[in-house]
Amino acid sequence: MDPKKKEKIITALITLPAFVSIFFFFYCFSGWNFFISLTDWEGFVPSYNLVGFKNYVALFHDPLFWISFKNNLLLILLFVPGVILVGLILAILLDQKVRGEGVFRTIYLLPFALSFVVTAALWAWMYSPRVGTLNVLLERLGLGFLKSEWITDPNIVMYCIIVALIWQFAGYSGIIFLAGIRSIPGSHIAAAKVDGASPFAIYRRIVLPQLKPSFTTAFIIFMCFALKAFDFIWVLNRGGPGYSAHILGVSMYKETFGLDKFAYGAAYSMIILLLSLVVVVPFLSRVYRRE
Amino acid sequence: MKIPKLSRIILYVLLGLFAVLSLLPLWSCVVTALKTSKEVILTTPVTPPLRPTLAPLMESLDYLKRPLINSLVLVGSGIMVSCFFGSILGYVFSKRRFRGSTILLVLVVLCLYIPPQVQLIPMVQTMSKVGLHGNLGALVLLYMIFGTPMCAFIFKTLYDEIPDSFINAAKVDGAGTWTIYRRIMLPLSVIPFVVAALLQVTVIWNDYIWGLVLTVGKANLPVTVAMANLKGSFVAEWNLQMAGALWVALPTLIIFIFLGKYVMRGYAGV
Repeated sequence: MDPKKKEKIITALITLPAFVSIFFFFYCFSGWNFFISLTDWEGFVPSYNLVGFKNYVALFHDPLFWISFKNNLLLILLFVPGVILVGLILAILLDQKVRGEGVFRTIYLLPFALSFVVTAALWAWMYSPRVGTLNVLLERLGLGFLKSEWITDPNIVMYCIIVALIWQFAGYSGIIFLAGIRSIPGSHIAAAKVDGASPFAIYRRIVLPQLKPSFTTAFIIFMCFALKAFDFIWVLNRGGPGYSAHILGVSMYKETFGLDKFAYGAAYSMIILLLSLVVVVPFLSRVYRRE
Repeated sequence: MKIPKLSRIILYVLLGLFAVLSLLPLWSCVVTALKTSKEVILTTPVTPPLRPTLAPLMESLDYLKRPLINSLVLVGSGIMVSCFFGSILGYVFSKRRFRGSTILLVLVVLCLYIPPQVQLIPMVQTMSKVGLHGNLGALVLLYMIFGTPMCAFIFKTLYDEIPDSFINAAKVDGAGTWTIYRRIMLPLSVIPFVVAALLQVTVIWNDYIWGLVLTVGKANLPVTVAMANLKGSFVAEWNLQMAGALWVALPTLIIFIFLGKYVMRGYAGV
């Protein structure tokens, strides 16, 4: 056999199991899920009929969908810029030739090491109205007037969740930006210093503009997370009180596995997928067009 | 960058402040886990226990023992397959490009961003069909495959750092795809395997939603699902909840404290 052809066959053979399983579990499943969203399937009953886009129409008339959508939007609008800003601050602080930089970095990253189940338990304790850490600390510090019902108050529960999630991801965000800052050629900064630029000016004029790739990376990662978020909110309080902390992922889970409305849940998840693709596809196509 | 002295002090104050904020919930968790129920009520959530007790840790360990073992099984089986698949794909994407390989690479990377909600229903359906639903086996199978895209991406990125000249010489000598992988790439793969494996350990250990929908009955639960159940069953017993959370957190905390550098190499650019 022609050796070149043989090599091609070998390459195909060793990669095939991985490609086939990825294709099956990610792409066939997504396609199949879309098909399910076009049916009237409920529960484990094996029979279902095609109903077209009826589930999607119903979705857009469902108040719960709009509540979840609005909460999800709030999460995106506050969590994504918030975690990027805190990460950027951490990165700039860590970039000042800090003694024990590694220790600080590790400390900031610890929350990111934890499962959402763990962080949900930790923050349930932080926010517990009667004996929890925050209210007790506020009282001890003479700030009793700031005491609050936290996650049991439907008006502020989303903000409590956003703060906790920023806490969890801030270190990761910081690492993304620190890596970005460190990849800027030192000569640029040295040249600016020779010209007498203040540290503030150096960051504004030289560092920040060159951090664009880090901003993009962080934006994509945290956007996609905010769209598919589920674990933390579900374990914290089941999306409650009431519907006040329902986001798309939570409502999707409840419709599907709480009420056995499989087709309807599939429609929910297709909306989540669609929104994620809107964020990711332009990014990936730009990154890989060059290759 | 050097800045004057007063600002150095402000810098360390700020760094310290962020460190305190970062550690506060964890600190509160550790001290509460070491208290009796009575002491939890009598002392503040941040004061260290006067008379530390291991009772909550023992009681929650009893509750989480089986799930902890389950999660170990999941981690062990999951990393082996996904790292192996990932390293082969990474090798081909990095050193054995062919027509259409970029498209395939993009499709593999895209998997990292597909929300799991889309796969929940087909997965439950498939696992029921093959009789694995409710079983730990469903998760074993799932984690073997689901980590592959991320591993492939990590291996590809790290293999890109190996100069092509390493394998060109072997190519001239007539070495084939498989020989080059085994003789040249694999021996250079210690770091990529460590990075990919550590990342998979944390991802699988911390995962919750798949265990929630695919496993039933305490004998099958991964530790995160069991921990969430513990949280639901012992609502007022904070020391027990914090002790349980501590058991679940411990392995990944240890990994991040001692090997965080490697894990973060895997997250770079993902």
